[in-house]
Amino acid sequence: MSALVFLSVLGPGIITSNVDNDAGGIYTYSIAGARYGYSLLWTLVPITIALIVVQEMVGRMGVVTGKGLADLIREEYGFRTTFILMLLLLLTNWGNTVSEFAGLASGMSVFHVSRFISVPLGAMFVWLLVVRGTYRIVEKVFLLACFFYVSYLISGFIAHPTWKQAAIGTIKPAIAFDADYLYMIIGLVGTTIAPWMQFYLQAAVVEKGIKIKHYVHSRLDIIIGSIIVDVVAFFIILACAATIYMSGNRQIDNAADAALALRPLAGNAAAALFAFGLVNASLFAASILPLATAYTVCEGLGFESGINKRPHEAPAFYSLYTGLIILGGLAVLILPEIRQVPIILFSQVANGILLPFVLIFMLRLCNREDLMGPYRNTRTFNIIAWTTCIIIMLLTLLWVIRSFLPQYLP
Amino acid sequence: MIYFTELENLPAHDAKGEYLGHLVDLAINPSQNSFQVAYFYVMTPKKKLMCIPHDQISTISVRAAQTSIPAAEISCAAPDEGLICIKKDVLDQQIIDVNDQKVVRVIDVDFDIQPNHKHTELRIVAVNVGAAAAARRLLQGLFAKHRIRTITSVLPTKTIPWEFVSLIEPDPARRVKLRIEYNRLAKMHPADIADILEELSRDEQRSVIESLDDETAAEAVSEIPTRMQVALLNSLSAGRAADIVEEMAPDEAADVLQELPPETTAEVLANMDAEDAEDVRKLLGFEENTAGGFMTNEFIVLDETASVEAAVEALKNFSGELDTIHALYLVSQNLVLTKVVPLALLLISDKNAPLSSLVSDEAISVPFHADKKTVINMFHKYNLLTLPVVDDNDRLLGVVTADDVLELVIKEK
Repeated sequence: MSALVFLSVLGPGIITSNVDNDAGGIYTYSIAGARYGYSLLWTLVPITIALIVVQEMVGRMGVVTGKGLADLIREEYGFRTTFILMLLLLLTNWGNTVSEFAGLASGMSVFHVSRFISVPLGAMFVWLLVVRGTYRIVEKVFLLACFFYVSYLISGFIAHPTWKQAAIGTIKPAIAFDADYLYMIIGLVGTTIAPWMQFYLQAAVVEKGIKIKHYVHSRLDIIIGSIIVDVVAFFIILACAATIYMSGNRQIDNAADAALALRPLAGNAAAALFAFGLVNASLFAASILPLATAYTVCEGLGFESGINKRPHEAPAFYSLYTGLIILGGLAVLILPEIRQVPIILFSQVANGILLPFVLIFMLRLCNREDLMGPYRNTRTFNIIAWTTCIIIMLLTLLWVIRSFLPQYLP
Repeated sequence: MIYFTELENLPAHDAKGEYLGHLVDLAINPSQNSFQVAYFYVMTPKKKLMCIPHDQISTISVRAAQTSIPAAEISCAAPDEGLICIKKDVLDQQIIDVNDQKVVRVIDVDFDIQPNHKHTELRIVAVNVGAAAAARRLLQGLFAKHRIRTITSVLPTKTIPWEFVSLIEPDPARRVKLRIEYNRLAKMHPADIADILEELSRDEQRSVIESLDDETAAEAVSEIPTRMQVALLNSLSAGRAADIVEEMAPDEAADVLQELPPETTAEVLANMDAEDAEDVRKLLGFEENTAGGFMTNEFIVLDETASVEAAVEALKNFSGELDTIHALYLVSQNLVLTKVVPLALLLISDKNAPLSSLVSDEAISVPFHADKKTVINMFHKYNLLTLPVVDDNDRLLGVVTADDVLELVIKEK
């Protein structure tokens, strides 16, 4: 994946943490805070631990085997299994791409730019940026603009949250079984531990050619990255809880609603500030996600790939990449405005539902002596990872039953 | 023709017709016959692995396989390292197509059924990577085999004959056992070898590099992208990395070593032949994006009073790559560059003619601190193939060659 090398400014872990906070992330965390106040803050701790474990596993696999995750799955589980997994990944990532363009449209709507203008322009911009190879320059702009998240930090403090409640919310798990609550938790997991990011991270680690003995440093980079994700998520939820939840109107239907969380900091400029951050996050992720997906699918199915190749040399790769962007943008144009935010949330829930299946593959590969040698998973890692897996699957099952077959659960 | 996908899980019966189990893998013994399936592996319902030699298979078809001996006489053994197992070592693995010079991932394997007077032989024909093979694998088990054949017959097929397939095996001991040689690979142009290396994983790259001779390895490594060079050299031992870097042109070597972590660079330099290491060290002293950073210090220099005969002698004694030499450089007694003599002129001149008389123009050169743009423009303006680089006193330090400039121009785009 030569395209990923341009993200070698920082370590793979820190990059992923920034891409993690895309349109899906911002909205999911915002809705969590707006709808449930402080009561979902506790999920961040187990989710972050799971994130660190999962990303560490993926990084370790990349360093020890020198191969990408899709490659490993293909070699160990065969063509059909890989095909099905790639298909699911493609679908989920299409959903994620839709959410990025929806985020773009949502952000630009604050400036009264119709999505019929912002999305096609955004799609073209992103496509040209990557295909022309000028991503490197713009990446630095994207990364710089990520300082936007600090505004959630500041706003969170200025909004005078009830710190006691927040503390309780962070430590005390509040478990309810209604469908919406479960849906929210699955979404939170899915947006923080997105499956596509694990494939991407492993490939990035392989690209950098990190030596096993230097891997300890990469571990630090992964841990720091995950903590950054956690902190940003925490403050988005906190700020939304302190402002939107407290105001009583706990719905987020569009960017303007979500932007209220920044009012304490920015007053009337809150909407513009939010829009700026959202548009930046959406474009950033839209430049990476479809590309990473195309690479992963080509890697798994054995197609030629590479942004440095001509389209006729790597037809599957270019078709996948361009197709994802076009179909992603198209979906946003077709979807009515009121459905945009729910779709963004749903795409993250889809991530959460797919995650356990990818995790199972990762766990089985990471425990293989012939693949990983002395670097196999420790028991602690296995416990944490398997527990995460089982819990998410349970949550999904419960949600499905509660939503579609409510008569089976009191 | 029969496909591995169709052979997988094939029910197997013994001579009496009793069910033994299902076929799980086939093995080839490269030290005896690279094309003939030597062993058939059958998994019994009790989870034991039966190993049936090829001469004990009486029939085999898409429906079933039958041995010519009773079940009790069949031994149970797992394949040893000297055998190539189709499912384990070939299917879904990356292989090198030495004919098309590409790396592909195997989707299916084609076999020929060859009935003999006493038994049936299975002979490997090709590796299959087409859409038909992909469809076959997806539909396997869901439909009857003849139906799958009908469906896939409309899809394109792409095969690589087995004789052009080179397996990639990271373990050197096993490579010897399997008779995996990269002879054909070694005969390819280094730039083409580099293309193949780019498709492989780090361990696979190392396995290919380890089986090439130093010179070919060095040339191939010179052609792969820098970050891959770094990863690859990092994964080799300091001694082996030094062997390869030694064979590279000094400017190439300097480019790569620059990207390695300093301890690794020092280690590699320490392991290199002293003279080569010195050449590279000198180049490492120059700044990256300047003429000094682009130049090589491997060139032929002669005193300005030397004759054509002396030039020919110098060429004969040159330790570097002759095909990179386009010109000779004449210097005064205090090493100041005076003239540049294109090689072609030597062929038409009398052997006693003084070299400086062959060329009338003064040498065009560039200072070592000149930037990238200046270097490119000079090549363009004066239609150069090589450009000498001098220090502040006009003394010759090195030469920038056209291929390096081309790379710079392409990178700018």
